[in-house]
Amino acid sequence: MQSSPNMLTKFESKSSRAKGIAFHPTRPWILVSLHSSTIQLWDYRMGTLIDRFEEHDGPVRGVDFHPTQPLFVSGGDDYKIKVWNYQTRRCLFTLNGHLDYVRTVFFHPELPWILSASDDQTIRIWNWQNRSLICTMTGHNHYVMCAQFHPTEDLIASASLDQSVRIWDISGLRKKHSAPTSISFEDQMARANPNQADMFGNTDAIVKFVLEGHDRGVNWVSFHPTLPLIVSAGDDRLIKLWRMSDTKAWEVDTCRGHFQNASACLFHPHQDLILSVGEDKTIRVWDLNKRTSVQSFKRDSDRFWVIAAHPKINLFAAGHDTGVMVFKLERERPASAVYQNQLFYITKEKHVKSYDFAKNVESPPMLSLRKLGSPWIPPRTVSYNPAERAILVTSPADSGTYELIHLPRDATGAVEPTDVKRGQATSAVFVARNRFAVFNPSSQQVDIKDLSNSTTKTITPPAGTTDIYFGGTGCLLFITPTTVVLFDIQQKKQLAEVTVSGVKYVVWSNDGLYCALLSKHNVTIVTKTLEQVSTLHETIRIKSATWDDAGVLIYSTLNHIKYSLLNGDNGIIRTLDQTVYLVRVKGRNVYCLDRNAQPRILEIDPTEYRFKLSLVKRNYDEMLQIIKNSSLVGQSIISYLQKKGYPEIALQFVQDPQTRFDLALECGNLEVAIEMARELDRPNFWSRLGAEALAHGNHQVVEMTYQKQRNFDKLSFLYLATGDQEKLSRMAKIAEHRGDFTSRFQNAIYRGDVEDRIQMFKEVDLYPLAYLTAKSHGLTEEAESILESCGLTEDQIGLPSLETPLQTPRPIVPTFKSKWPVKAAGHSSFEKALLGEVGADEEATGDALEFGEDETEAVLAKDTLDDEEEDASGWDMGDDVNVEEDVEFVNVESAEAGAGSSEADLWARNSPLAADHVAAGSFDTAMQLLNRQVGAVQFAPLKDRFLEVYKASKTYLPASTGLPPLVNYVRRTTEETDSRKVLPIIPRDLETIASVDLQEGYAAMRANKLEEGVKIFKRVLHTLLVNSVSSEEEVEQAKKIISTAREYILAMSIELERRSVPTDTEEGLKRSLELSAYFTIPKLEVAHRQLALMAAMKLSFANKNFNSALGFANRMLANGGSAKLLDQARRIKAQCERNPSDAIDVEFDQFAEFDICAASFTPIFSGSPCVTDLFSGAKYHEQYKGSVCRISEVTEIGAPASGLRLFVPGL
Amino acid sequence: MDPFSAEGELLNIHNAFHSGQYPEVIDFETAALSPENQLPARVLKLRAQIATGQAAEVLATVSSEEDTPDLAAVKALAQQVLGKTDAALQLAQDLAENYPDNATVEVLAATVLQAQDLSEEALALLAKHQGNLEAVSLIVQIHLQQNRADLALKEVQAAKRWAQDSLLVNLAESWVGLRVGGEKYQSAFYVYEELASAPSTSAPLSIVGQAVAELHLGRLPEAEAALNSALEKYPEDAELIANSIVLNVLSGKPSTDLEARLSQVQPSHALLADIQEKSDFFDAAASKYAPKVSS
Repeated sequence: MQSSPNMLTKFESKSSRAKGIAFHPTRPWILVSLHSSTIQLWDYRMGTLIDRFEEHDGPVRGVDFHPTQPLFVSGGDDYKIKVWNYQTRRCLFTLNGHLDYVRTVFFHPELPWILSASDDQTIRIWNWQNRSLICTMTGHNHYVMCAQFHPTEDLIASASLDQSVRIWDISGLRKKHSAPTSISFEDQMARANPNQADMFGNTDAIVKFVLEGHDRGVNWVSFHPTLPLIVSAGDDRLIKLWRMSDTKAWEVDTCRGHFQNASACLFHPHQDLILSVGEDKTIRVWDLNKRTSVQSFKRDSDRFWVIAAHPKINLFAAGHDTGVMVFKLERERPASAVYQNQLFYITKEKHVKSYDFAKNVESPPMLSLRKLGSPWIPPRTVSYNPAERAILVTSPADSGTYELIHLPRDATGAVEPTDVKRGQATSAVFVARNRFAVFNPSSQQVDIKDLSNSTTKTITPPAGTTDIYFGGTGCLLFITPTTVVLFDIQQKKQLAEVTVSGVKYVVWSNDGLYCALLSKHNVTIVTKTLEQVSTLHETIRIKSATWDDAGVLIYSTLNHIKYSLLNGDNGIIRTLDQTVYLVRVKGRNVYCLDRNAQPRILEIDPTEYRFKLSLVKRNYDEMLQIIKNSSLVGQSIISYLQKKGYPEIALQFVQDPQTRFDLALECGNLEVAIEMARELDRPNFWSRLGAEALAHGNHQVVEMTYQKQRNFDKLSFLYLATGDQEKLSRMAKIAEHRGDFTSRFQNAIYRGDVEDRIQMFKEVDLYPLAYLTAKSHGLTEEAESILESCGLTEDQIGLPSLETPLQTPRPIVPTFKSKWPVKAAGHSSFEKALLGEVGADEEATGDALEFGEDETEAVLAKDTLDDEEEDASGWDMGDDVNVEEDVEFVNVESAEAGAGSSEADLWARNSPLAADHVAAGSFDTAMQLLNRQVGAVQFAPLKDRFLEVYKASKTYLPASTGLPPLVNYVRRTTEETDSRKVLPIIPRDLETIASVDLQEGYAAMRANKLEEGVKIFKRVLHTLLVNSVSSEEEVEQAKKIISTAREYILAMSIELERRSVPTDTEEGLKRSLELSAYFTIPKLEVAHRQLALMAAMKLSFANKNFNSALGFANRMLANGGSAKLLDQARRIKAQCERNPSDAIDVEFDQFAEFDICAASFTPIFSGSPCVTDLFSGAKYHEQYKGSVCRISEVTEIGAPASGLRLFVPGL
Repeated sequence: MDPFSAEGELLNIHNAFHSGQYPEVIDFETAALSPENQLPARVLKLRAQIATGQAAEVLATVSSEEDTPDLAAVKALAQQVLGKTDAALQLAQDLAENYPDNATVEVLAATVLQAQDLSEEALALLAKHQGNLEAVSLIVQIHLQQNRADLALKEVQAAKRWAQDSLLVNLAESWVGLRVGGEKYQSAFYVYEELASAPSTSAPLSIVGQAVAELHLGRLPEAEAALNSALEKYPEDAELIANSIVLNVLSGKPSTDLEARLSQVQPSHALLADIQEKSDFFDAAASKYAPKVSS
């Protein structure tokens, strides 16, 4: 037996002796009943005491949560059973009846029943809804220590110090208490049957089996959750396993090991294990099938009294002399490794599987690691090597082992691996393509090994190293309890060190520049050279982390997924209902493994952190994008922006006027502030706005706010300061109106208006002051009259000496007329981006509107175009000239002996395609081929294309210094190594031509840039002429493109010709009209043909060729499309119909079938002799035979040729 | 015996040289080296100087103290690089005759010979090596230049038996791999990627290698990313520019700017010479054709 390295304690409490434990079914809570009469409610995840319930008198031995209601039940030595509501934190009621200590209490899984076992030798069932005792089971003749309901069947198991375990059938009780149904005759008989009734005639609960086998009292009994098994623990120190059938029950086996009384036992809810605890201070785990001890855990000085299992999660709790411990038996973190789009992980069955992030599919098992480590210990880590497709797996079994295994090419099932290399180590990671490092803590030694598992190098890590991790190529990270050390393996040198304590996991960012060090409660982000970037603390345990592609760390705690930016800003992304281990973030998906090692995809909203990230990076465009496209609102983001000093950005997406006002003030955006203040219109806001505006010197706004606040004093002073005399006098009038003398006096002083001051003094009977004022300002007359009215003379008044009268200060600059020079309204770059964006947006929509028509037409036209082309594809069939196929392989001189032949030579040998010969640099043979295939004779236009293809054929790999680089040949057959099948890559494939070049051509047509258009379409022809495709379908597609290009070149050339014809002569005019008519003949896309028709129609109409114009108008109408064009056509049609005749006779019969000669731009009526260019398919009058095709500019018209080859089947 | 072995003190400078980190080689602290390793280290430094275009300085230095065959070989190389080909050849042939067992002479004289297209002589000299990995890699390169990938492969496999982990063998294997193709492209990619991603070995050489491997694998966007970021760092590196030209052509982008840049940096580059030659060839070949009727 081994002591357990795996038992992972998650929580421990310190208290008096814990006698009863219950897990909450969904929340991370545990109830602990203590010998001291207290019941504690703990959150074992946070490690906090939530509540205490203290109404029992004396020890509380049994406690249980209700499975669904916010209730729990407890029973104690005060003989009482209490039912509590933990939300209201009150005891709801007490069930009295037991006559001695109550040992255990349990809720029924579905019925409103409570089961209690007591030292009064009875087991009782209570209905907690009507609070009544519904059944008393007697039969044990000593204390009943434990009684439990069967999880699904109507059975009860009880354990007693009378050394027996009893199984009770309570189906009768259930029937009695279930909704009244008609009782069948059999039931009546059964219930009346006296043999099954107990001595009191009670059939509610009857003893089904009595299990005898323990030699001493039995302390605990438990049912297996699914199998007909029972386990019991007794003072005889034994754990006994029992099996039952419908009719009997028997002892299966005994687990021996406890060396003191066994107090409690239970079955593992999910695994074939039994757990037991005893007064020997041990927790023991037994294999259910072999009844052997799997592991044991010993406490130093505390006897264990009780054990409980969480119904769903892999958690257990054990109560002992000084408290409770919550633990799990094994690590639940599945071992996994991520490489690019693949996740490799080890399932609960110890199968190696992979998961593809791109396709979201799980592979079948690839390997079985059943033999790795011991059966109950899962592998700890896995490291993946893409170059060798190998994995390194470590297992903590046998004090640490590792195995190096090559993965099979295809996942075919859980096969046992072959060729496994193994050794002793607690950690093993790949450090390079062909090297891995293993760490042995006992010897404190890191070995660098090659793939044959032999040690190539040995490193002594820093003292106290506990773990090693990959440290970037060629480097290792050593983890010690207080530091992390970066070590270069090759140079055997410590590169950097950072002080971080308790690091447990290391997660590298996708670009390898940053690394997150995870410890229990801290995340530290460091650069690849271990410079600390940021650190953050979590109160809840941190479980895992992964990096977003943008460089945001996404990490998970027990119950949240959170993010952290490099600067340490962090926040919650979502909550978790169960613990998961993150492995990858892609867009809105977080990929993780759950505790069953199943890959799961969680959806997240990355908006918040992306926003913050773009804020940090000052990527305003992206911020805008985010603001526009998602509902990014909420106080948190606003306060974040404010805190980070971006009130102007926060302003952009706040609606609430008050917040907007606050933000506007903060960033000094007065306009918005005014707007909001108007909306709110409360004095408080006006005054704040006024203060801010004053600080800005924006006196207009200040004026307005003072007006709004009716703050006359301040207004007056403002006018004085800005020198606005007019308004100042208005203020004086207002003051007069209001009868506010103080204000009036003040205004008078401001204005220097002595008369008004005297007047006012007189009005308020302050004659002395009035007199003094008049006197001091030299207004003697006025002074006299005042004296007079008072009936005094001058000598009756003692006057102080008079000085110069008060001069009011006059502002030099009439500030009021102009605005204070306010700093240009500071648009932040973000706002600018916003403004710019808006502008661009409008333009874009404008453009889109213009183009919209064209595009929709083009789409509409597409179908018809395709039809036409299908017809047209017959063109090269008719006059096919048979040239022998076998001459196509042009002989290539083989290279001289000694040195081998280069790959370029091979290409030319392998292929009959001109393009491949060009790539091989064999231009002469390529020309030969083109000459034979399409009658090419004038190669100059192809030169660019030849050189382009040739240039792309080779790469230059620098090798030994002092020598030229090694030349390698780029293949399109990247998978091929057979020298007879390799072929060169040809740039500008068919897809590029169709999606780029052709579209450029169309755009030139739309934009009326015909010269350019001709060039583009000719380039398309030339590119296709020297090219290769990969299937017969593509050959057809290429032919279509050739004919499209031909039609456009022809059409554009006709129109260009027309523009060069002078129209001042009669012939010129006639020719011009004809050419405009011919322009409508080539098979252009409908939208473009409409343009041609429009031009022809207008020209004819303008020259009074109404009949022709009518013809064009009719064709336009038949084509349909843009309403604007059709309107014009309709109008012209209406006009022409009045006089359908032509003023000038032109050679154009709209009803005849004809082609246009591409050289002379004259009609070739059907039946008349013509020649065709084999490559372009252009038609010519016979006299042009032998000259160069005007369309392709390369081929000879009418030359015998076998047809262009672009594709070789089988190669 | 091999001072470049995994435990030797020259390992780092040696690896730096072969992963193309010439500035690091030149700055390498050699004072602490044992006396017998001083000379090889000096030779490596001089070669690094030549590789970074300081051949004239090197020539001046070694000319004054041309007392060992090693330094004489360096001189030959410097002469070759400076275009004094006749003198270089003369010296190289002398050295090859007199000191065929000197490792430096083997490698440098063979380099000179091969640079003057005397492949057979170079191979004959190199064949005398005794466990000199550099000679092996040179042999591999010569075989590849002769388009004898089969012989190159044999050489690599033989070397792998006794020096599996050496950087040089890994590189030589990648050279062969890039010629053979198929799955070997991917392996070569891994070798170069590993070099390029580790700060202690990253240099234009390894980045070019990685990008070339990606080009051959048909992964153009990745190759582009690698080349572009490297070009920003080393705007003057001829091979980076040359391969960027190839990449641009392949992905249908204009390459004229880059070609102009290349002709500035290294007018003699194979790509430019080749294109010029082919352009003339084209004109010659095209002149043989004419339409029957001229229009």
